[in-house]
Amino acid sequence: MPGLNADSATGVLHRGWSATVDDYAIAGGWSRRGETLVVADAAGGVHAFDGKSGASAWTGHVAHDGGALAMAIHPTANTFATAGQDGRVLLWGVADGQVQKAIDVGKGWVENVAWSPDSRWLAASSSRQVRAYDADCREVWRTDDHPSTVSAISWSRAGELATACYGRVAFFAASTGKLRQTLEWKGSLVSMALSPDGDVVACGSQDNSVHFWRRSTEEDSMMSGYTGKPSALVFDDTGTLLATSGSHCVTVWSFQGSGPEGSRPGILDLHIQPVTTLAFARRKLRLASGGRDGGVVVWSLRRNGEGGPIGAAVVADVVSELYWRPDGRALAALDARGGVTVWRVR
Amino acid sequence: MNVPSKVPVSILTGFLGSGKTTLLNRILSEEHGKRIAVIENEFGEVGIDQALVIDADEEIFEMSNGCICCTVRGDLIRVLGNLMKRRDKFDYVLVETTGLADPGPVAQTFFMDDEIRAEFSLDGIVTLVDAAHIEQQLGRSDESTEQVAFADVLVLNKTDLVNDEALDRLEARLREMNRMAQVVRSERADVPVDTVLNLDAFNLDDVLERRPTFLEPEYPFEWTGVYSLGVGRFELSLADGPDPAMSLVVVPHQEPDDAALREGAEWCVRRYAEPAQLIVPGEEIPVGKHVNLKLDSPGRKSFTLVVDVPLRVGLYAQHTAEEFDLQLKDAQGATIEPEAERTWVAQHEHDDEVGSIAIETDGDVDAERLNAWLGRLLRERGVDIFRMKGFISLAGESRRFVFQGVHMLFDGQPDRPWGDSPRRNQLVFIGRNLDEENMRQGFEACLV
Repeated sequence: MPGLNADSATGVLHRGWSATVDDYAIAGGWSRRGETLVVADAAGGVHAFDGKSGASAWTGHVAHDGGALAMAIHPTANTFATAGQDGRVLLWGVADGQVQKAIDVGKGWVENVAWSPDSRWLAASSSRQVRAYDADCREVWRTDDHPSTVSAISWSRAGELATACYGRVAFFAASTGKLRQTLEWKGSLVSMALSPDGDVVACGSQDNSVHFWRRSTEEDSMMSGYTGKPSALVFDDTGTLLATSGSHCVTVWSFQGSGPEGSRPGILDLHIQPVTTLAFARRKLRLASGGRDGGVVVWSLRRNGEGGPIGAAVVADVVSELYWRPDGRALAALDARGGVTVWRVR
Repeated sequence: MNVPSKVPVSILTGFLGSGKTTLLNRILSEEHGKRIAVIENEFGEVGIDQALVIDADEEIFEMSNGCICCTVRGDLIRVLGNLMKRRDKFDYVLVETTGLADPGPVAQTFFMDDEIRAEFSLDGIVTLVDAAHIEQQLGRSDESTEQVAFADVLVLNKTDLVNDEALDRLEARLREMNRMAQVVRSERADVPVDTVLNLDAFNLDDVLERRPTFLEPEYPFEWTGVYSLGVGRFELSLADGPDPAMSLVVVPHQEPDDAALREGAEWCVRRYAEPAQLIVPGEEIPVGKHVNLKLDSPGRKSFTLVVDVPLRVGLYAQHTAEEFDLQLKDAQGATIEPEAERTWVAQHEHDDEVGSIAIETDGDVDAERLNAWLGRLLRERGVDIFRMKGFISLAGESRRFVFQGVHMLFDGQPDRPWGDSPRRNQLVFIGRNLDEENMRQGFEACLV
């Protein structure tokens, strides 16, 4: 987006701080109260920054041989988990950067890691298998092989873990790992989002569509018309809106009334290259989008999915991830050049 | 933002035992200083320090629309998607497929997935062929046929196990299936690395430089001589040759330049399609007719050619003049030398279902008509078209439009300006049971 840079952020975005990590910034997150931002990079390093000043708090270089792939912040404790190409999950203390536990998940890459919302379980996927661990990182159960490599995992509030792969979404009981439901569809599912009540499962598909199911009725629908694969999908925390990538626009489907079937989505058009990542602020219909163009845009949305930009900035390379601070008053962007940029949001 | 150049990717295919791992090790040990990532689907014995070797399970993803052309390799999308995030980005990626892999989904991945397409370019497909076993494999499996059909380079390996004659026959068969590919022979996959890497397979010019005749159509005759004749009787004589008979058409008013020769050739193709009139030695050869000269008696055989008004004639002969020591003499017995001569690519018998079609024409193409034609062709025949590539002269466009495709997936862009070079079109298709005449007409209807 021409005419913009990180220094001249506009609208609700105001210059905060910036820092760099060793390589492509792959995943990150704000600590529970927002005092620290942690970031993992493609060289396998894990870094912590003071949330207010951006000063480096600590760094763990090459924690994951081959590179980090995913991160999950603990919902209640001051810890977080990282996963990497070395086949391991590491549990870190936010404050001191000490690795408290190391889990050998398997031989393959560990591509997904997630805490259950009640913080009792940690799930990790490697190749075709998903394993669940308890709070002490002891394995509780593991799934049989999925039909293909697991592309996404997500806990629902109902004590279940959802997994997506080529051809299906499956639900496993959190405490036992028992398979409860499968929703099948012939297509490669590359991303997944669960509505907060757990009823709607939305998946981005390799064939440039979004497929979703209502679990209660097992009805499914397909939303097509995307120019690329929708690899970023997010629900707002009321479950009203589903924002999706898959082109240079953000496409927002509204679940109010009888939608989104038969309704027109909101189209948010400001990026000049494909959207790469999306994040809703908590308790607000406020969405942040990042793109291959390095653009970061904050949108204010209405319940019908329409909306407009209220702030924008540009970082040095492809935006890989965006994270709202839990209080919604700061936004962090990670980029492909290892840049970490934080804006205050007013 | 700077736009980084795309990382080239080569695909190595070939049946088990064809020498893929040997070639891979050779590339890795010779390409010092290059950062190469290798993606393998079966445990090989690759052990080179500077290369990153990633073992991925082959995962073939079909799309909900059921189209085989939209089938991609999910494992490659994942692995490449992560590779491109490294700052010490790779100079090159090699994908080694399992022996039984269908190369289609691998190649299609580089067209179908928008993110992969943005970061990587398919440099070329290298297929290793075990010279001793490929003939049996071609008969038995679709995979080996498709591996040959998809190739930009065919490495004819283990040539020490097969005699020269069999090798020549095999090479001719492989070329017939895939006229686009370069064929290199090796004993232990010991081919120069630059024949398999950095091919820029998009670039048809290179292919043409190596084999200038590969785009040419095939004709039922091998040779033409143009003679300027006055009024009178002439003697056409032939010595003993390889065949007991030879087809011939004498074309009147034949100009000696290349364009006129091509025009004459097209006209002759239609004459050759007509039944031949048998002419025995001593008889007169009618002008403009398909004749078959009877040559089964020993010694030199003479035929007569009668000219009423001075003119140039073109002799379009089934064999070259050399093969029968063909001579033309006037009534006084003086030998007449041809004013122009040229040879043609002779037709072959097509045994395999898989073959190549080349279309070459001058003139500008109407973009809309081309789109409509190609769209329909790929929709109807995309399953049978393995690969295509070429360049096109689009009306109103100052640059060449280059393209390549896999099944019904198509990728094209303008490249260098035409400048002073003549504007023309060259297209090559490799596929199963393709209707050459129909495709040629379809393309020609797109010309402005």
